[in-house]
Order: sequence, then structure tokens, then C-alpha cells
Amino acid sequence: MIWFLDTANHTLFWYYVVCNLSYLIMLLIALKTSAAHQRRLESHRLSWIKDTPLAPPITIIVPAHNEDKSIRVSIRSLLELDYPEMEVIAVNDGSTDRTLAEMQEEFKLRRVMSLYIPQVHSAPVRALYRSDADPRLVVLDKDPGGSKADAVNAGLNAATSPYVCVVDADSILERDALLRIMVPVLADPKRVVCAGGIVRVLNGSEIEGGRLRKVRLPRKSIEVIQVVEYLRAFLIGREAWAQGNMLMIISGAFGVFRTDLIRKIGGYRASAIGEDIDLVARLHRHLREQGADYHIQFVPDPVCWTEVPSDLRSLGRQRARWQKGLLDVLWPNRDMLFRPRYGRIGFFALPYLWIFEFFAPIIELGGIATIALAAWLGVLSREFFIQFLIFGYAFATVISIGSVLQEELTYKRYSDWQDVFRLVSYCFLEHFPYRQLHMIWRLQGIVQYLRGDVRWRPMKRQGLESAGTP
Amino acid sequence: MESVFEKLWRIGAAAFVLKAIVAAVAGDLLLLGFILLRRTYRKRYFARRDARAFRFRQQWDALISGEIPYDTWREKSFDRRIVETMVLDALEAANPKESARLLGFLRLSGLIDKRIFEARHHRGWRRWRALVALGRTRAPEGITALAEGLRDRRMDTRMASLRGLGRMACPEAASEILTWVGEAGLVVPALPLQSALIPCCAEKPQLLLPYLQHAAGPVREMLGRVLGEVATASLGTDLLQFAEDPLDELRAAAARAMPHAQPRLAVEILSQLAQDSVWFVRLRAIVSLGKLGHSDSIPVLLKGTADSNRLVRLRAAEALVDFKTGQISIFEQVVALQDRYGLHAYLTALENAGLRANLETDIKAVKNMKPAQKAVLIEVLQKGTPTVEQPAQTETVTSDMAMPS
Repeated sequence: MIWFLDTANHTLFWYYVVCNLSYLIMLLIALKTSAAHQRRLESHRLSWIKDTPLAPPITIIVPAHNEDKSIRVSIRSLLELDYPEMEVIAVNDGSTDRTLAEMQEEFKLRRVMSLYIPQVHSAPVRALYRSDADPRLVVLDKDPGGSKADAVNAGLNAATSPYVCVVDADSILERDALLRIMVPVLADPKRVVCAGGIVRVLNGSEIEGGRLRKVRLPRKSIEVIQVVEYLRAFLIGREAWAQGNMLMIISGAFGVFRTDLIRKIGGYRASAIGEDIDLVARLHRHLREQGADYHIQFVPDPVCWTEVPSDLRSLGRQRARWQKGLLDVLWPNRDMLFRPRYGRIGFFALPYLWIFEFFAPIIELGGIATIALAAWLGVLSREFFIQFLIFGYAFATVISIGSVLQEELTYKRYSDWQDVFRLVSYCFLEHFPYRQLHMIWRLQGIVQYLRGDVRWRPMKRQGLESAGTP
Repeated sequence: MESVFEKLWRIGAAAFVLKAIVAAVAGDLLLLGFILLRRTYRKRYFARRDARAFRFRQQWDALISGEIPYDTWREKSFDRRIVETMVLDALEAANPKESARLLGFLRLSGLIDKRIFEARHHRGWRRWRALVALGRTRAPEGITALAEGLRDRRMDTRMASLRGLGRMACPEAASEILTWVGEAGLVVPALPLQSALIPCCAEKPQLLLPYLQHAAGPVREMLGRVLGEVATASLGTDLLQFAEDPLDELRAAAARAMPHAQPRLAVEILSQLAQDSVWFVRLRAIVSLGKLGHSDSIPVLLKGTADSNRLVRLRAAEALVDFKTGQISIFEQVVALQDRYGLHAYLTALENAGLRANLETDIKAVKNMKPAQKAVLIEVLQKGTPTVEQPAQTETVTSDMAMPS
């Protein structure tokens, strides 16, 4: 027993050291990359993309299911984006609220006969509408498909551009976001097959007429902690993984993809729990199997602002779903592990996801249990235990403050001193008890998945205008 | 010699942790300190810069005319940067007379010479900044320094030079870029190169032809795309040689440039290109036929509505809808094709152009048509389904990585 506890505690210790060291390496890579990106931006002007005749048209697909609170603001902001040629396809995925009615009122929709080729699978389409207020807007009304993936697939069938940009209906893109996300695509259109932008927390900021007026930190602690999490995930994690062309996720809230390629792999998998990570994993698999020379990019400056859960229950559901989505991708793709055919994806990216993402809740919560048991049995060195806690706490805080530093050095959206002070404070506060709670939600996700429970649990939303009110 | 892992194992977890705690806490404090110091510094810097820029703005005319001696601001790098930024921003929106005045100021004050010096002798981001600023001045004397930057071993320097030359937008800059591409090949991404060449070659597209004839591979593709953008009627029959080029991109470029050739000849060539095996060549040909708006192209466009690629269908339909006359006849022919998606593409284009109601009214008003035929057309127009259903065609793309040019 003592041997078991000792081994478990040592395993936990080394797991923690390796995990944080990987974060540290990612932080250093991200700092270097974003510094270079900033320097490049200084000598770069986005206006040429806006004016160039070579910029390919983009179709923005907005899947919406019961989004009557945010759909007007969201679509209005999309239509105001700076880009030479684009169309917006809003997919009403069998909403039972006033989503379609809201769009009809706001954008003066009329029913049209439009080109729709059911090339990828989705639930039947009831009708297509075009806006009289802005002819670039097409609304697709369809039977409920039970997933966001199904709605996006319907949009893909109606899309007429060589690139599609998938945006959540509860999100707002910054005006130049499309221009910025297309920079790597335009620089190397043959290799760059898709690109993701950064997703930031909208809660607390001020919105006016579908545009972000002032960026502020949210008031609730649970929302501020998510700000730190998002900064860490995007500015450190994705930036670093993309450097090695091992990006495994492009956020479902905002990403640009080559239309022909997504259609070729059958569109989004309708039964996928995490359709965004699933799509990128399938793209990697397809392109690696084809032996294609490709790149999946992350661009840190095109910003998508999204509403995050503001209560524990919704947040717990979201995190459990993310964990289920992760397992739902890792398990079917387990054959990619350590096979030369899949290169760095099989040797680095997927093993990392298995060890430090999938197993994290099991190892961390198991570790807490063995430490407690060892302490109770008196076989744990109190000195070591305290030192380990201090080390773990201080090291994890370095990573979180590192992400705030990264934000400060580069994009600096939180200009208010008070906001920065709060942001830094939460870097110290998030480790207890939020982190443990987070692990429990993720463990719940694993258990639910193993039990076959993949139901979508609704989350409480305030709608864009109210989410953006401090 | 023992490895790091062996050392760690030997000193044990406890000793390692103690050292790690010190390092981690020091890391936290350093990061926090850096954030606070940087914020304070930047706040002061921007306040000072704004105040200074405001003072210069108040004395703008005296500054530009040279009434304020150049030495009063030129010696201080802080002031010099502010003045230069203000002048370059003003140049962007200036009319020719004002541009000449601002350029004169940049020359007399020595700012251009300074930027040329920096572009030649500095390294790293200072050089990139100088190269881009030099391009923004549009001063021809900067072209040589920019061309030297193109031959630098660092990609970022080459890109900055390219942007600078692109801003010059003159044939001399185009010659420098083309000579360099001829020597070095495609050593920068194609898009920035095209973007720089397009404004530079706009005045004199003939500059591209000798390079196109001798280039090969990706360089030829890239030059072909530029030609497609800048081609004018002045190129005349020079374009014909590329219509049968083995390179897809070049055929597409020829198709894109063809509306500038003699119309009857252009329709003939474009009709051939509209049957090409590569979808984006067909797409370019269809778009160009649409631009020409010649009635001889209608049969080709009708065929385009039943193309295996949906973009080709849509563009063909849009081109058909753009014809000002004979829309009823075109619609009849679209219906006669019995291609469901072709019909949908046409109706989509009609809807987008806001002409559907007009067509319905026109059909109802037409006199030389049998009522039964009218009824069929109106029914198809309203329901969007052809009289006899045909199986859907699937979209095929020639290559997985193929993209429109």
C-alpha cells in the first residue's frame, strides 16, 4: 500500500513537472512567435488585402439554434466586416424560438429559389431566403439536425465561395478579423488549408449596434477566470502548436477553411460532440494520407468575441462536453498514434492530447486522493507535500501570468489598469478551488461519454447585447 | 557523464522542488514587474508623443514650408519619427500638388536620404521599417536601395523591400522586381509579389511579356496571374499565345485578360477555354465571357450552367442574367437544358439581380408565345423545378489542392 502511494505521488509529481515544462516551452515559443508577428505587422498594411483583386470570396456560415437574443446583433456585425467579397449564410437549425422571425424583421427576408447542392449530409432544408436589406445575406431554414455540425453542413451545401468561415451566432467578429485571418491564406494559398483566429471573452464589454464599443473585464469571478483560460489556451497553446503545424483545433466560434477540402472529407461529422476538433483531426488525417504539403495556421490578431457561461452549472456542462468531444476524437483516431504515416500528429500532438488533456482529470484527481490517503496514513512527508504545493502553485501561476504578459506585449485589449490588476489577481486565484472543480467537470464528461450519454445540455445565455453590458 | 534525468533522480524530488519553488516565485515576480514597468513607460511615452504631435500639427504649414528650421526637430529621433509619420500619412491622401510639396519637404529635410541610409546599412526590424517607409515616400531615388533589399538573405527584409517597391507603383520599380525574380526565382510567397507587381505593371503591362516567355514553373504561374490583372487592350494579340499554354494558371490568366482583346476573337478563344479540363480555367473563361456580354457567347454560358463545378455554374448563370435583352429566350434555353442545378443557379442569379419579378412580367406580356408554353415557363420560374427531373451531378475538382487563381 505504502509502495503504491509512494509511486502514485511520485508519478503525480513528475507528471506535473513535465506538464508545466511543456507549458513553459510553449510560452517561450509563443512569445517569440508573436513578437515576430508584431514586427511583421508594423511593416504590413491590411488595406492591400481589402483592395486587392486577388482576395478570394468568402462565405460566412452562421449556424443558429434558438439564438433569438443574439442573432440580430451577430448578423449585423458580420455584414459590417471589412472584406472585398463575401456572403453570409445564416442557418436556422429548426429553432423553436423567434430566431427566424427576428431575422425576417431585421433583414427583410424574402423566400428565394437558390442553388443548394446537397453534397454533404444534413437535415432537409425547408426554405432559402435572401435579404432585401443586404443581398449578401442568405438565410437557410432547415429541419433540426440535432447538432451544430448538421447546420454548418447545410450552409456548406449552399456556399458559393472557395473559402468558408464558420462563426457562432453568439459571437462578434472585429471589423478587420476576416482581413487578418486571411493573411496566411493569401500568402500561401496552396499550403494553408485553414486558419483559426483568437476567441476572447465578450462578457463585460460594451456593445453598440453589433460592434464592440469598449473592452472591459467581466465582473463575475467565474467569467474573469475564463478570460485567463482563453488567453492561455489561444495566446500560448495554439500559437505554439501552430508553429509546429500540429494545431489540432480551430475554434468552432471562428475559423476559415477551404470549401472544396471540407466538402471532400464529407463536411462536419454530424454526430461529433466537438465538431471543431473532429474536423481538424479529419483534415490532418486526410491530408497526411494524401501525402499533401499543407499547413493549418493560427493567427493571433483576428479577434472573435464570444459569450462564455456565467454560472457554474452552464460552465460545468460546457467543460464536460468539451472533454466528451475530446474523447470522441481521440478514440476513433487512436490508429494515428505513433505511426510514421501521420508524422508529428501521431508522434506529438495526439499523445500530448491523450496524456495532458484526456488523462489530466484522472491523474490530478487521483493524485489528490492518493496524497490525502498518504497523509492520513502518515506516510507522506509534510515538508515535501507543502513544497510540492508551493511549487505547483508558483509554476502554474508563471504560465498564467505569462499569458497576460503575452497579451500585454502584443494585443493589449485590456487597457484599463484596474482590468489588468484583476486579470493578474485571478492568475493567482484560479488554482484553488476552480482548477479542482474544473477537473471534476472534465471527469464527469469522461464518465458520461463512457456511459454513452452524449446529450446536448442547454446552457444559460444572456444574449449578445446583455452579455456585453458590464 | 550523467544525464539531466539521472541528476534529477539522484538529487531527489525534494531538493529539486526547493530550487524550483525559488525559480517559479522569481519568475512570477519578474513577469509582474515587467508588466507594471512596461505599462507605466508606455503610458508616459504615448502621452508625450501625443502632445508633441499636437504641437507639430499646429505648426504644420510652417513645418512643411521649412520656416521652422529642419535642425530643430531632425536631430531628435523622437521628433523626427513623429514628423515623418505625419508626412507619410498626409502623402497617402494628398492630391498631386500636395504630394509634390510633401515630397519636396522630405527631400530638403534629408528624411529620404536618412531612410535610404538606414535601408542600406541597418539590420533587422530597423531596416524593414526603413524599407517600408521609403516605399511610402514614392521617391524614385529610393528604388535602388529597395532593390538591394530584395537580394537580402532574410525573408523579412525581402518582403519589406517588396512592399516598399509595390508602394512606388511605377514601371521602374516593376523592372527591378522582375529582374530580381528572373535572377532568384520565387523566393518570397507569391501573393505579396503579385500584389507588388500589379500596381507597378499597371501602367506598362508589356514589361511582363519577355519575362513570361522565359520564365518557368511557379514564377510563370505568378506572372501569368499578374498579367491577368493588368492586361489592357494595348497588349492586343500578345495574349493569344497564352490561351493554349500547357500551364493551367497561364491559361486562366489568358482567360482573365481576354476581355481586353478584340471582342469577336476574344469570344472564340474564351469559348474554347470554357471547355478546358481544369475548372478554374473554365471559371475565368466564363467570367470573362460575362464581362464581354457578346451574344455569341450565350450557348457557351448555357453549357456553363450545367458545369460539374458549382462556381462555374453560378458565374455562367450570373453572366446570362447580365444580358439586357433576350432574357425570355435565355430562360427558355435554361429550362430546356433540364438540369436542376443549372436552373437553380440561373434563378439564384436572377434573384440576386432582383430581376425575377421583371422576367415573370415579361413572360406574361410577351405576345408571340403559346399560352401553354408561357404557363410552363411561369410555373418553372415560380416553383424552381424543371419540367422533368434529372439526377444531380456531382462536383468534381481536378486536384485536391487546386485553387482558383
